Amino acid sequence: MNVMSDVAFKWFITLLTGGLAGSWFVYDTINLLKLRGADGRDPLVRDKRFGYVMGLIIGVVGIIGCLRFHGVM
Amino acid sequence: MSLSGAVIAATARPAAQRRLVSPYNPANAVTASRFLTLPPFVWAVHHGYHQLATLFILICGLLDKLDGLVAKVFDCRSQFGEIFDAITDGICYGFALLLVAWYGWAPPLAVALVLGLGIGNTALRFVYARRAGRALNYKSYAMERVVAYTGYLVGFATSGMEVRFFYWLFVPIMAATVLHDAKRMLLDAVP
Repeated sequence: MNVMSDVAFKWFITLLTGGLAGSWFVYDTINLLKLRGADGRDPLVRDKRFGYVMGLIIGVVGIIGCLRFHGVM
Repeated sequence: MSLSGAVIAATARPAAQRRLVSPYNPANAVTASRFLTLPPFVWAVHHGYHQLATLFILICGLLDKLDGLVAKVFDCRSQFGEIFDAITDGICYGFALLLVAWYGWAPPLAVALVLGLGIGNTALRFVYARRAGRALNYKSYAMERVVAYTGYLVGFATSGMEVRFFYWLFVPIMAATVLHDAKRMLLDAVP
């Protein structure tokens, strides 16, 4: 039982994943840049930095996964 | 104090400091409605309907985003709501991961590691609440992102999208996040 054709579904999940991963990457890059001047001794700042870096990594993984899915990488 | 006791204390005790919010509010209703996506998800996986299974887990993920928005709109944010949301995340995504691994749609060892790390993280949150002496949901910027990725993991399995790649890269990401949060929850001062 399918909602759409296999090709349409493949592109749907690619756009969903790639779109979110890409925007996530941009969003957390901006967040990290905003924290440039913040006090690194503050635990909250360190926690945010770590979280944003993880967001960047997850974004990159998502984009690479999309490219692999279409045989680009 | 038990966690349930702590929840009651946190929602009842600080009445003077902040508005008392009933646990029966629109945001928690949206959170609870996520459980309704699980039976059709099980049905779709059992019958091998990959697209429908992806759709149901997508709805579950969208409801996760919607409850926060509803809480803002109706001004009904609460400690209980945050904890209920975290528990719902764990149950929905944990169950869905187990199911896709059971049906051979995801690598079982990677799923076992992810679930083990998730259970460890939950246990640490209980310890953190005990240290604080109240129901205090530990806010982790990294874990927020990891939880969103977990929802996607189920979707990768149901859609057959680079399953091994996404699952095996997720394990070190989650391990690093749990280690980071463990240090903060166990050793750093409670705010």
